Amino acid sequence: MKRLACFNRWQEAVLLLLLVALLTVAGTMDPAFVSPRVQLKLFDNMWELAILALPMTLIIITAGIDLSMGSTLALSTVTFGLLLSSGCPPWVAAALALAAGTLGGMLNGLLITRLRVHPLIVTLSTLAAYRGVAEGLSKGIPVSPLPASVQALDTSVLGLPVAGWLFMALAAAFAVGLAATPAGRYLYAVGHNEKAARFSGVPVDRMLFRLYALSGFLAAVVALLYASRRNTANPEAGTGYELEVITAVVIGGTSIYGGRGTILGTVLGVLLIHETREFTQWQWSSDELNLTVTGCLLILAVLAHRVLARGQAEESA
Amino acid sequence: MTVKTRRSENMKCARSVLCALIATILAAGCGKQPNSPAHAEAPENVTVCLLPKLKGIAYFSSCHQGALEAAEELGNVELIYDGPTEGSAEKQAAMIEKWTLQGVDVIAVSPNAPDVLAKAMKEAREAGVDIITWDADGLEGTRSFFVNQATARDIGYGMVDIMAQDLGGAVARGQLAIVSAGPGAANQNAWIEHMTERIESTYPNLELVTIKYPGENQNQAFQDAQDLLKAYPELVGLFGISSVSFPGTAEAVLQAGRAGEVLVTGLSTPNDMKSYVKQGAVKSVVLWNTEDLGYLTVRVAEALATGKLKEGDTTFDAGRLGTRQVEGDHVLLGEVLVFNQDNIDQYDF
Repeated sequence: MKRLACFNRWQEAVLLLLLVALLTVAGTMDPAFVSPRVQLKLFDNMWELAILALPMTLIIITAGIDLSMGSTLALSTVTFGLLLSSGCPPWVAAALALAAGTLGGMLNGLLITRLRVHPLIVTLSTLAAYRGVAEGLSKGIPVSPLPASVQALDTSVLGLPVAGWLFMALAAAFAVGLAATPAGRYLYAVGHNEKAARFSGVPVDRMLFRLYALSGFLAAVVALLYASRRNTANPEAGTGYELEVITAVVIGGTSIYGGRGTILGTVLGVLLIHETREFTQWQWSSDELNLTVTGCLLILAVLAHRVLARGQAEESA
Repeated sequence: MTVKTRRSENMKCARSVLCALIATILAAGCGKQPNSPAHAEAPENVTVCLLPKLKGIAYFSSCHQGALEAAEELGNVELIYDGPTEGSAEKQAAMIEKWTLQGVDVIAVSPNAPDVLAKAMKEAREAGVDIITWDADGLEGTRSFFVNQATARDIGYGMVDIMAQDLGGAVARGQLAIVSAGPGAANQNAWIEHMTERIESTYPNLELVTIKYPGENQNQAFQDAQDLLKAYPELVGLFGISSVSFPGTAEAVLQAGRAGEVLVTGLSTPNDMKSYVKQGAVKSVVLWNTEDLGYLTVRVAEALATGKLKEGDTTFDAGRLGTRQVEGDHVLLGEVLVFNQDNIDQYDF
């Protein structure tokens, strides 16, 4: 266990180093990019993904995965948009949108724990199904503009948007919960060896169910933030988010096989992927580079992970 | 022992790969000159960002060609061309926000969804960036000029007249249907209004039976057209009024084996439609010169930034296009082109 902690700290140090190196290079190439004003504004593009990366970290620590996040987000968005356009008061529409997302997550959890189907298969099916329902309900048509009261949600408090504060609060809560509570320890236990965890009396099914429900709920929260920020309830919202979120979590040092990972690592992973992408766009203005950059980062992360894991295996040998 | 050595070698190898990568990134950083956008440079240098609805389709690529030509001619324009690869309006907004932070001079945008872009466009103007629209217009107060390819009336009437002419002139009779883009597409909706008006006022024997909205999706347009062919066996003509729905519609007619029996006309680039014209499903293709549209947009952007074009001007000197009309805050390109069997091979875009 002690070695494990060491390992994670090292991984985080490497990430921090990469981040500093990236910003130094970026600052040399164009000092404007690293100015606080620019960085703060560009962060607007990061908060939503950062929030989603938190539940994804916990899920991957349990050796699970949630591929349906982006589609759950779309389902909530469409629920929100359709209710608003039918004249529903915004707070009712928001509450029902949150319910829709949570239900989506609960269904994932139910299929995973009751039918004992691998999360990859379950959420791959719901990735398609939820998006399909969202497209079907809305007939593919975005609802736009949204009422002024919804747009008002996109506001800054003390220089940081609501989404930013929400992320900070959630990140702190997740970090403490994961590192310092029995429930957090149980998540690692499930990821290491689910069978052993079951035999030791860990309520595995209940935990997993709640975890996927939480993931759906937070996807719905992000749906509302995104809709208010962009003034549209678009059934295409969140397309490809799962790839970006998983990439950030894996770059952050969470093992895709479970049992290992930290919130700090994930936050650094999100920052690294965000800064790399924004800088590529800043410098070369080319939308098609986005996916390439994400893909390359993912490969690099896996490579780095392997190097570090081997290094550690040797030390312990 | 052997295993361990190999592992350690592997590890060293992988570590050096990582180091090399980092070094390359650093080297690239030092090698490239800082290229901060134009504000800091000589005042007559103008950075123009051209933002299409969708990057990578023939229509917008040909606009880009014209834009490059204008930038080269003018000499003082640094042209940046980028747009969403999947046509997302939210991404368009993010691009405008980024260019505003960079302090570019002019952003010329073809908005995919005016409501989604309004906030970013207004913030850009507040930050001192000139915003113009081209190809499609934005909300009121979000831009200074709109580079209008042709009035909605010219296009709407033009498509109906050409369809009627291809169907035999004033004696043309039968049912027509429209395959549009998305239900919120401002251009298409304006054209539909004028098309309906023209059919009702001029061609009493033609009847518009229905309108389909497949979005910017060729497969969906293809399916919608198939549905129409089944639902209305008496159809004599179909309009595909976006560069995506036109080929989809023509393909449906072709595959149903009804080329020549049901005529398809609409808006698209000549290259996309050449094969359908040759196979007889399409007689005429309506469009404006898209290269000229990109050319004019960059000309207008540059003139605005350097003070050559001002509010209230009624004409605009547009380089190789000669003098163009300015009506209110619309700069008009003002020519509808018709491609058919005889001339389509002369155009390559």
